[in-house]
Amino acid sequence: MRRAYFKFSWIAAALLAPQLLIVFVFFYWPSAQALYWAFTLEQPWGGGNTWVGFDNFRKVLSDAYYWSSVRVSVIYALATTVLAMSMALTLAIFVDRQLAGYKAYRVAIIWPYAVAAPAVGLAFQFVFNPGAGLFSYINTIAPGWWDLSKYPWQAVTAIVIAGAWKQVAYSFVFFLAALQSIPRSLTEAAAMDGARPLRRMMDLQLPLLTPTFFFLLVINITDSFTDSFGIVDTLTGGGPFRATDLMVYKIYADGFRGFDYSGAAAQSIILMLLVMALTFVQFRYIERRVHYT
Amino acid sequence: MIERTPVLNFATHVILIFGLVIILLPIWLAFVAATQTLQAVNSAPVEFWPSDQLLVNLAEAWAMSDFGPKFLNTLFVATGVVVGKITLACITAFALVFFNFRGRVLIFWMIFITLMLPLEVRIVPTYAVAANALTPFQTIMDWSGISWLIKAVSGIEVALEWNLLNSYTGLILPLVATATGTFLYRQFFLTIPDELVEAARMDGAGPLRFLWDILIPLSKTNIAALATIMFVYAWNQYLWPLLVITDRANYGMVVVQLSDLVPDQLTTGGGTPTWHLAMAATLVVMLPPIAIVILMQRWFIRGLINTDK
Amino acid sequence: MTFKLSITAMALLAAATAANAEKAKFEYWYGLTGDLGAVVAETCNRFNASQADYEAVCVGQDGYDKAVQNTIAAFRAGKHPALLQSFDAGTADLMLSGEFYPVTKLMADTGVTVDWADYFPGIANYYSSKSGEFFSMPWNSSTPVYYFNKDHFAKAGITEAPITWEGLEQALVALKDSGQACGLAYAPSAWIDLEQFSMVHNVPVASNNNGYDGLDTELLFNTTLHVKHMENIQRWLTDGVAMMRTQAAGKTARDSFVEGECSVFFSSIADHNTVHKLKPTFGWDVQIIPTYEGVERKNSVVGGASLWVLSGKSEAEYKGAAAYLAFLATKEQQQFLLENSGYIPVTKSTYDALLAEGFYAKEPYINRDIAMKSLTWSEPTELTRGIRLGGMIQIRAEWLAEVEAAFAGQKTMQEALDTAAARGNEQLARFAQTYAGKSFP
Repeated sequence: MRRAYFKFSWIAAALLAPQLLIVFVFFYWPSAQALYWAFTLEQPWGGGNTWVGFDNFRKVLSDAYYWSSVRVSVIYALATTVLAMSMALTLAIFVDRQLAGYKAYRVAIIWPYAVAAPAVGLAFQFVFNPGAGLFSYINTIAPGWWDLSKYPWQAVTAIVIAGAWKQVAYSFVFFLAALQSIPRSLTEAAAMDGARPLRRMMDLQLPLLTPTFFFLLVINITDSFTDSFGIVDTLTGGGPFRATDLMVYKIYADGFRGFDYSGAAAQSIILMLLVMALTFVQFRYIERRVHYT
Repeated sequence: MIERTPVLNFATHVILIFGLVIILLPIWLAFVAATQTLQAVNSAPVEFWPSDQLLVNLAEAWAMSDFGPKFLNTLFVATGVVVGKITLACITAFALVFFNFRGRVLIFWMIFITLMLPLEVRIVPTYAVAANALTPFQTIMDWSGISWLIKAVSGIEVALEWNLLNSYTGLILPLVATATGTFLYRQFFLTIPDELVEAARMDGAGPLRFLWDILIPLSKTNIAALATIMFVYAWNQYLWPLLVITDRANYGMVVVQLSDLVPDQLTTGGGTPTWHLAMAATLVVMLPPIAIVILMQRWFIRGLINTDK
Repeated sequence: MTFKLSITAMALLAAATAANAEKAKFEYWYGLTGDLGAVVAETCNRFNASQADYEAVCVGQDGYDKAVQNTIAAFRAGKHPALLQSFDAGTADLMLSGEFYPVTKLMADTGVTVDWADYFPGIANYYSSKSGEFFSMPWNSSTPVYYFNKDHFAKAGITEAPITWEGLEQALVALKDSGQACGLAYAPSAWIDLEQFSMVHNVPVASNNNGYDGLDTELLFNTTLHVKHMENIQRWLTDGVAMMRTQAAGKTARDSFVEGECSVFFSSIADHNTVHKLKPTFGWDVQIIPTYEGVERKNSVVGGASLWVLSGKSEAEYKGAAAYLAFLATKEQQQFLLENSGYIPVTKSTYDALLAEGFYAKEPYINRDIAMKSLTWSEPTELTRGIRLGGMIQIRAEWLAEVEAAFAGQKTMQEALDTAAARGNEQLARFAQTYAGKSFP
């Protein structure tokens, strides 16, 4: 944030106040309570708690299974982000060429985002199910090759594809909006200079997309760390043998489903610190390469 | 643009159609499921072509879920959330980008961090806030002794209460804070060239006039993109409405209603796997978001002004 | 003087509900979804239509886990319902918190007479305290059985569905020899393979009589007959007389059975109704879960969910809740549930009346009451009353993950169960520390 043209005044304060107030009441206040439980053993029905200091953290961090959960979460986040963003960018660039039928493409690509969460899991059952889904046709050629209950890498692949599928629409919309706001005069000038379409893309459009690209990178990574348990739950349930036990899924399973509020709170703090660190790195090192003006 | 690029055009179509197939395949399969009987939807392998039960399933799903009034409720809530989010995102980002003060970075981060802790983790205390949104202030006043002071001076005992359960406010207000939107607007505002700001100042325009006359018209495409995404997001909200609305007759939301139709896979058995009805309901539920996507298209227009130097 | 600042979001709501003001309302949050959720909603409609004093406001919470979780959130804010439908694994915390109104006491206090002795012991024990007081009201109840394809059995020359594991193994081998590619459709289930298995064999899942006698409990399932049983299943999977049939493996056990691909699968009796609705094209039947030869069979225990009355509500709400619970327990309403699901009756009198009417001699209910045979096989022993463990959901998850690892050949079954027990014990220790000084009532 480099520019500052107006002097700070009550106007700025008034503009900031509404969102800060809402965030304070509905996020920070309750979150602080939930996170405090990380240092206690909290009774779910509210009978009180016992202070245990860092015990909950010690327990989680000394668990080898937890570290493999961290590892697979990182793999999942990076793979989904790369897959979703590259697909979204490709599609957006080509839709932006506005050939015949581009409006239909545009609607169709945003469509997945409109599918309600309970249906997404099932739709992907239809795709990945080794016995009944699309992938079962692979098994008619090579019997037993595709089996989500046996092969961890396949289970991870399945959740990555499903996760990316959900994210494509999101990234696509913003990429497209950014492409559309590149003034036509600019591309026309380049065309007149004799630049071929592909060259124009590389030299002209991509640099102008970097602010959006950076935005989507940060959001996609954050999202795949914190909002992926729906897909895991319906597709793999964390299995086979914990191979897809993402950090956020574990938090969900322990805290929301299993009523271990304290353990889930400790894991949440660890997850938040990890995502914050990653975000910080992105702001520090990647944003440098972003062309704002 | 008058330019003939037949090879590239062909490649464009090939790539787009390929992408489309991948993207629409799961949706197609869901649609096919909605056209089948209970027996067929539960037998392997998956069907590729629709059967003839679509209308039957739609009718049954509709009758089971009383969708009619829920559509209006959801439309109202989703619209409220979109308007709220866009307004907040815009003014917050504006204050963060165009004003010079210490703590800007801190405030940006404070808003951004809200993305990192899912509702599921903080559900218990968040519910408490929804039951009385003034709890934080009451607690602060109690702790700091202000309550005591007021009582000592005036004899009035302060008991702040604002119950958001079973209300549109409760559905909308907690959802309008938006880290994503603020971030997006920040990105956009950072691309506004200095000259534009200086010109505005030269004309004697204050910050609000600058925002209203210059920035908002320029951010139309951004607004359209954000509105599209946020509308669909709000439409598909599930856990929060499930929690705060028990008066489903008056405030029911469609996706909550939809998931009531979805057979539970967790329980040890017993429920009929009525996936054909769940999928039929899914088709109905996604129509309004699709309509919004189509409607918002008209705002995805090519920028006319050269904002670059 | 009290100054109260209250912002009412919707003043209209009060006006809209004023019409029903003469009825005392109470809320009931339930977890069932789909067609079973519709059954719950219908019981509320029937109750509301049946009398003029109370109105049940029934709110579906989309799954047992969410029902309990949302109720906790509401409870801590003082906005909870009077009634909650909770599943077995979710109630250890509620029992220790004491934030419930035992139904025996509720019924006595509100003057509703209930013949508690009429409840089947296998059900009653599960939902009551050590002194025999009912905590919660049994409603949708089940127990596991196995389903078998009669045509396949006949073709393989099996005349009677075995009730021993040895017999079942022979049957599976005979099925394979008769050309049946998939005998047993197996899906690991802690509820069936661990908990109910231990019940009918009268072996402990955990110390302290399965947790009833204290919180300093340790899991014992890695030292009992359960280990041998899991090793047998593993052998069957290797030998090809059983096949892994889970969603992740391609098809659920039930679907493989209904399609006629596999001959046998284990599930709750509640699936009896579902299998019927899926219209298999062959003859099929159910049988009680087997025991090993030489073991004196005991009763299995109830599964499903029960209705809890929560503390902190008004007298009027409790009266309404009591009336609703009494309404659900009538023969007519039990029968309504049985006709629209695969659940079983909870009282002897209802069961006897249904038998006398020939209910279980008619399709689709034929032989569904085999579950009663399993549930009432013996008087409950110290080990077959049920299980009282904190963190049951995590313990089941640990068991499942480790057993999967064993099936995948990553470790032996003994190692897997040892790990599961050790990790479960950590969970139990945390639970005991959370509720230090307390014990199950």
